[in-house]
Amino acid sequence: MSVAARLLDITKTYQVGTVEVPAVRGVSLEVEAGAFLSMAGPSGSGKTTLLNLLGALDTPTSGAIWVGGQAIGGLSSKDLADFRNTHLGFVFQTFNLVPVLTVRENVELPLQLHGITDKGDRKQRVERLLREVGLGDLMDRRPAELSGGQQQRVAVARALVKNPTLVLADEPTANLDSHTAGEIMALMQSMNEKFGTTFVFSTHDPLVMEHATRLVRLRDGLIESDEQIERGHHVV
Amino acid sequence: MIPGTLQPWATLRLGWRNLARNRRRTWITATTVAFAVLLLQLSLSFMTGIEQQSFDNLINYQTAHAKLFAEGYFANRDELPLDYPITDLEALQDAIRGVDGIAATTPRLTFSAQLSNGVDQLPCLGTGIQVAGSDTDVFRLPQAVVEGTYLQPDEEGLLLGSGLATFFGVSPGDWLTVLAKTQAGAYEALDLPIVGLLGTGNPLIDQNSFLLPLQTARYMLDMQDAATEVAVRFDATAREPATLRRLQGATENLDGLETKGWRDIEEDFMALVEVKRTGRGIFLGIFIIMAIVGVTNTILMASFERTREIGMLMAIGLRGAGIRRLFLAEGALTGLLGGAIGSAIAMIFIAYWATVGLDLTAMYGDMDIGYPVAGILYAAFSIKSIVISWLLIGVLAALAALYPAARASRQKPVEALRYV
Repeated sequence: MSVAARLLDITKTYQVGTVEVPAVRGVSLEVEAGAFLSMAGPSGSGKTTLLNLLGALDTPTSGAIWVGGQAIGGLSSKDLADFRNTHLGFVFQTFNLVPVLTVRENVELPLQLHGITDKGDRKQRVERLLREVGLGDLMDRRPAELSGGQQQRVAVARALVKNPTLVLADEPTANLDSHTAGEIMALMQSMNEKFGTTFVFSTHDPLVMEHATRLVRLRDGLIESDEQIERGHHVV
Repeated sequence: MIPGTLQPWATLRLGWRNLARNRRRTWITATTVAFAVLLLQLSLSFMTGIEQQSFDNLINYQTAHAKLFAEGYFANRDELPLDYPITDLEALQDAIRGVDGIAATTPRLTFSAQLSNGVDQLPCLGTGIQVAGSDTDVFRLPQAVVEGTYLQPDEEGLLLGSGLATFFGVSPGDWLTVLAKTQAGAYEALDLPIVGLLGTGNPLIDQNSFLLPLQTARYMLDMQDAATEVAVRFDATAREPATLRRLQGATENLDGLETKGWRDIEEDFMALVEVKRTGRGIFLGIFIIMAIVGVTNTILMASFERTREIGMLMAIGLRGAGIRRLFLAEGALTGLLGGAIGSAIAMIFIAYWATVGLDLTAMYGDMDIGYPVAGILYAAFSIKSIVISWLLIGVLAALAALYPAARASRQKPVEALRYV
């Protein structure tokens, strides 16, 4: 089984004034390609920090990270931007769409940044994916004209449009009602099954965790447990 | 296309839409820029107009395009010496007329004199002009006659500056006494009738000069067939610097002569024009900087408000350079928007004042405004100047966005995404 991402003995310490606050205290983890991995844990357990490190948005204090076989350490900010564009997709808790762009343009943005100059190719990929996530009729709307659930669908489409190695979702359902949250998780699950895209997401919500195939529990910056689970398995 | 950045068109489109996020702020900033541009355009057009009219005035009434002097005269010209006469005028003028771009030439005899009406006396500048011959081919004095008539051939008389006429309380038909020293140093006096008054807008002529027939001046000053200068007018279509160079080339082999262009003759005025341009530039510069600082403020506020969005854009792969370009584009577009409004309004006013003009006499009367102009002042309407100013504002506004753009692009994505 190939590996989508690997973390080796990662630590991350933040300096808050004169105090050093350890957020991650030595985490090693392999994420197999095609996984639907949920990171769970209370606030301050290090979930978001680990996602930021995996997403090349932050650099570890020590340790090494590989995504898609490529080491992240030592890359310049420019190379990190290119790396994120090529290998990663992000789904944020607050959707983070560009409000002045239409749904279509938001999803097209990563392709433009990827250097795909063929407009026809971009259009075809964007429209196909938007139909997949159920937004075929809303492509020319702006984010403010969509519900929260629809906006998160756009974010999922934006994350998937380049066929990234890894999609990272930091509490993707935290701003949604439970019904919509279930729909978004079902959507991500179906994308995982259909395209084999690897997902790593963080959540507090046991109902969301039930969609995962692997559950990593964190506490105080360390992995407390790491288990493969059956989808639909009731998680406590 | 560079990966990690948007294509220029996509950057501009996104920048333009971002301006619409806070319309009121964008309009306030654009209005400030528009006001600065309006002031800049109006000032430029009027100053260009007033300078052009001043230059035309000098050329038409005082300096022509160029003058030839006997060697040594130019260095001592303030004393109006008669010791450097040009003789053999016919041969010289024939030689000059053969130069490509030369339209006409005329000899003049300039001298220092006292004018008197029997009660008051004033030192003045006297000029003998060739009435029957060529002076009107070079100068445009007949169109500056505001009362009476221009000198007629074989007519003995004076053309008097209108300011001098006011000083002496005289009008055409009255007589004045001209008192001057001959070349040999003897005093000579001559009573002459005033035939016309000149109102050129040029203080040197209006307040200080009189003209009389060349033969009369020669007779009075005992200068036989000599002149102190030969004035030269270029063809209307001739390029001035090139024609002057040709003229100087053609006359450099003629012994004892020197050729000066009108800018050299009026070097003091040209220096003053430069000083005024610099002063005006500083004033307008300060005004524009104030407007541009508004752009910096607007873009800085936008960059703070959109910190999380910047973090998201970085997360999906937009490089720092792409962020910079986006904010620079927003700065430039704000400047271009304000500049377009200001330029459009300015064009309406400039077009009106370029056609109808502004009556300086009504505004300033006889007051010296520092430029040799009078009557109606016409603004210079130059699309090229307007477009250049407009684009310049766009560039300056983009430069004004440099700091906020750099600040935005230097953020770490993780910190930007956490920004509340």
